Amino acid sequence: MAFKKKPSFEGRGIILFERVEEALKTERLLREAGYACKLIAPPPALRKGCDLALEINLVEQMGIERFLKERDVNYLEITSLKGKATELLGIVKVIDFGEAVMVKAGNMKLTFAKGTGVILNTSGGGCPDIPYLHFQLLDKRLSEAPKPRDIGFTLCGLMLDRALEEGQRLWIKEEHE
Amino acid sequence: MSEEGRLLVAGTVPLQSLPLTLAEGKIEDACLNLYGHRIPCTQGTGALISAAAVTLKYLGLKPPLALVAGDAGRGGGSRLIYEYLIERAAEISPEVLVLHYWLPDLILMKKLCEVVERLPKKPKLIADAASMYAAKAAGLASKFDLFTPDLAELAFLADPEAFHPAYINRHLIDIETGAPKVPSLISQVYEVKGAAKVLLVKGEADYVVKEGKILEMISEPDIPAMEAIGGTGDTLTGLVSAFIYAGLELHEAAVISAKANRTAGEFAQASPATRVWEIIEQFPLVFKQYLCAWSGVCIIEDSTP
Repeated sequence: MAFKKKPSFEGRGIILFERVEEALKTERLLREAGYACKLIAPPPALRKGCDLALEINLVEQMGIERFLKERDVNYLEITSLKGKATELLGIVKVIDFGEAVMVKAGNMKLTFAKGTGVILNTSGGGCPDIPYLHFQLLDKRLSEAPKPRDIGFTLCGLMLDRALEEGQRLWIKEEHE
Repeated sequence: MSEEGRLLVAGTVPLQSLPLTLAEGKIEDACLNLYGHRIPCTQGTGALISAAAVTLKYLGLKPPLALVAGDAGRGGGSRLIYEYLIERAAEISPEVLVLHYWLPDLILMKKLCEVVERLPKKPKLIADAASMYAAKAAGLASKFDLFTPDLAELAFLADPEAFHPAYINRHLIDIETGAPKVPSLISQVYEVKGAAKVLLVKGEADYVVKEGKILEMISEPDIPAMEAIGGTGDTLTGLVSAFIYAGLELHEAAVISAKANRTAGEFAQASPATRVWEIIEQFPLVFKQYLCAWSGVCIIEDSTP
């Protein structure tokens, strides 16, 4: 019953390239790997010396970044195709529960025990890798936990990675005080 | 198993090998049992279905139907669910359709909504998590009866061009710092047509909003640790879905669910280390003590010897 081919595609994410041939090569690689994508002309505000870009499903940014890095693909950046927000939400907040600390990065939260650095919970988000990452991170020490950047695929996963990074930074700081 | 007229929950689960599965959601030993597949009752669609199953069992109603597939983020399981629903929605004809974790796909979401719109009996349509992201990004929010966003997701709904909460207009961001600004954000969501008919906004205080008007704010009991516990938003969506299926009005179901979720956290003495199953297993106790007073839905236990 699986659809062989999508009739059209709306992804709202864009990969910008310096050179046209890189865009063409990347389109082929991504399609072969099962990622939906299409070649487009970048909007004027996002032109950085290139005249061909690749539209992707923005939610899959993290998995695609990892995929391209593993294959040494050169690109300028991945960003949002529409809207005023072309940078990822960078705000990180820390909430102290006494025995535990919760780090919030965008829509994602990671909570660890102050005494041990063990991850007690992760919450927030809505992409399909989040329940998987929740499972993978629970009960791991911050220093030993797998990075969502390495095993996740989506923007929610990327925000959880930021929360983990901040948690690790806080934990190292606490250990040295 | 009769499929028609049921509460149907569709979403991915973090068991990559799980094929597309349609089954009744039953609870066994803190796990969901779906036709022999054991789904951990942790953050995500597993928590939503578990909360709905516990609630419907208490109310003496049929268990929820679960349409799930394994997907750890690549989207394969997500597409199977979209495609199954598009092909079979008319046959299943759910009373309430809840869309939850999956990889947003705007084209498939538009197709699915077209199919649902054409059903002889349109189900109550609820979206949470990335299904809500896709519904809003595809310009379909008003087709939905209920969204259940948290504050970060509320800011996303208020940004007319945002595709995901990780990319939102920065002028909306400081909204998350304090409850007093939530009402203005709610107004913006309705102005930009990013809202379903009813919103249940999850946060330090929960807001129940109908067509732009805040009907109720629920802030007690105040259990700050609930925010840290993965899946407490999913349980809230599971509760409200079950109460809507039971026949309550959308806003009534939302208010009771917010109270029940918070009270379950209180009963479980929730801490940041609490797991969501510990919250869910409190629901029958919460219902027994408060549901009659909150809703007028009173279960009379038979005391005949």
